[in-house]
Amino acid sequence: MSEVYGRLGNRLRRILVLVPHIIQNSGVTVEEVARRFGMTADDVVDDLNMVMMCGLPGYTPLELIEVVIGEDGSIEIGTADYFAASLRLSPAEALALLSTGAALMSLPEFADADALRRGLSKLERALGVDANEDEGVQVEVEHAPAAHLERLRDALERHRRVHLEYLSASSGRLSERDVDPWALIAALGRWYLVGFDHSSEEERMFRTDRVKSVEVLDTEAPIPGDFDPGRYRGAFSGTGGKIVTMELSPRVMGWFSEYYPLEEAVELADGWHHIRLLSGGDRWAAALALRLGADVRNLSPPSVGREAARLAAAIASRHRP
Amino acid sequence: MRRIERLINLIAALLETRRPLSAEEIRDRIQGYDQETHEAFRRAFERDKETLRALGIPIETRKVDPLYDASPDGYVIPKDRYYLPELDLEADEAAALRIAAEAMVGSGDAARAGLMKLDIDDPASSGGPRFVWGADVASEQPYLPPLYESVLRRTPVRFGYRGAAADDVRTRTVEPYRVVHRRGHWYVVGRDRDKDALRAFKLSRIQGGLKVLEGTYEIPKGFDASSHLPREGWEVGADPDVVAVLRFDPELRWWAEQNLRPSESAEGPGGALDVRIPVANLDALVSWVIGLGERVEILEPDAARARVVEHLEAWL
Repeated sequence: MSEVYGRLGNRLRRILVLVPHIIQNSGVTVEEVARRFGMTADDVVDDLNMVMMCGLPGYTPLELIEVVIGEDGSIEIGTADYFAASLRLSPAEALALLSTGAALMSLPEFADADALRRGLSKLERALGVDANEDEGVQVEVEHAPAAHLERLRDALERHRRVHLEYLSASSGRLSERDVDPWALIAALGRWYLVGFDHSSEEERMFRTDRVKSVEVLDTEAPIPGDFDPGRYRGAFSGTGGKIVTMELSPRVMGWFSEYYPLEEAVELADGWHHIRLLSGGDRWAAALALRLGADVRNLSPPSVGREAARLAAAIASRHRP
Repeated sequence: MRRIERLINLIAALLETRRPLSAEEIRDRIQGYDQETHEAFRRAFERDKETLRALGIPIETRKVDPLYDASPDGYVIPKDRYYLPELDLEADEAAALRIAAEAMVGSGDAARAGLMKLDIDDPASSGGPRFVWGADVASEQPYLPPLYESVLRRTPVRFGYRGAAADDVRTRTVEPYRVVHRRGHWYVVGRDRDKDALRAFKLSRIQGGLKVLEGTYEIPKGFDASSHLPREGWEVGADPDVVAVLRFDPELRWWAEQNLRPSESAEGPGGALDVRIPVANLDALVSWVIGLGERVEILEPDAARARVVEHLEAWL
């Protein structure tokens, strides 16, 4: 399952859940347990054979855990009352559910919000939080126009194409495009729409705060069977896939590398860093460089440098006395 | 005997014992600790404790005889910290928690393991995910679970914290009140004991380990963690508070109306929108406005206008 606990840890963790499950559902079959825990029947039997060798000091048949597997595959476990209840959730396991759940609850009109709120609060109570205490985890997702999110959610649920007016980061202009919506994902404190963009013929991400309007069309837009949202892990800062390189001063390098996933960073002789990062287009990279002012140099490719010069002139001309 | 069997025996014995068991008793009584030397036993036992603690199994160290100062240390797993209490989840609550687990973008291992303990079917085993919304909150940061546990158990912590400069690492002693995710970053908000003030610490700046301290503290009821986190860059800073006026051209006014929720705005010429916002950091404001591009202009204060031009000097 996970690399975090190692093979032994994972097996032990599974057994500490599997044994209570069988004790609480006496007579459950090997097949049922295998299906529920995503194991093979042989693995279940292996685990049970091992559990039978364990028990309390003394380790006579009276103290060993008693496991009986019937000919019909039904399982009964006795003399192990201390394993009748499951191990509680670790902070990491609880956090995974609490933080994802909290993000989802920021979806306007989220149909499962009430049940989720109740479920999460019971979960925190199981960790020792009193019912009248405040929750210990907070996930903020920025205000995004509720009307847009509701329409996108509706389109996703009914598998419908949408027409967007969208402020493009790569050109800085308002664009119109048809998109097949595949998922709404909360990341970096914002909601993003992920889907197939028909104007670029590509899979794209759209920041919902840059959406000006959403129209749900009648065209069917099924979500592809092989769509893998896991690919979007940490992919929300750059788009497009083009690379931009620049050099950053030591003054800004620290925070910059915290905010932007760098493809590469090499320290130069004078303490500056040469960095490569995924570009969201010339305009995006130019605006980023201008924000850094004198703490950036040697922008590449040249088209980004030209765009930066153009943009700098346009902004400066509006701000001169 | 395999190590996993020894670990199960150890958990069973420490759960069932009425008083803490000393290391000697563990060696004598629990099957699997038949190492030749005391040294070998100590190593095996230390390793086992570590493995179990990593799995979230609460092994506590207590005096075997609490009334006797020179009593040796003993070990016990307190039942109230080990067992998952009865949650009485309604069917709709279980279903909603499953949606939360499924919505996790990236590794959902921890969430799935949590579901298993709650005895909720793994979504993967019931006809595949019906992913429509998801969240990427990067909750697998190494310092997040221990800090959350500190919030739950009210245990103070000490950690190294990196300042603005990379080599400026200082030790901080903190009473964690809450963990907060904002804009892709996790923070712990709580009372900084040395400064006797409420502070927010970014988890990515914590360095060199975290130590849980003895003692406890109270978390004020209704504590508002958000107000202790910097909201926007231009709201935190040393500049005297001023109100800036920004002009959004007609092409971009919808964006300001939709996302800024300005306290005050006025119609500008030709369909533009003039927005007033409070500012405590002019440099952050300048940087943000430049990022917005040529369709936004700072009208006031003049000092900010001048800084925009200065900031762009290198590019002109």
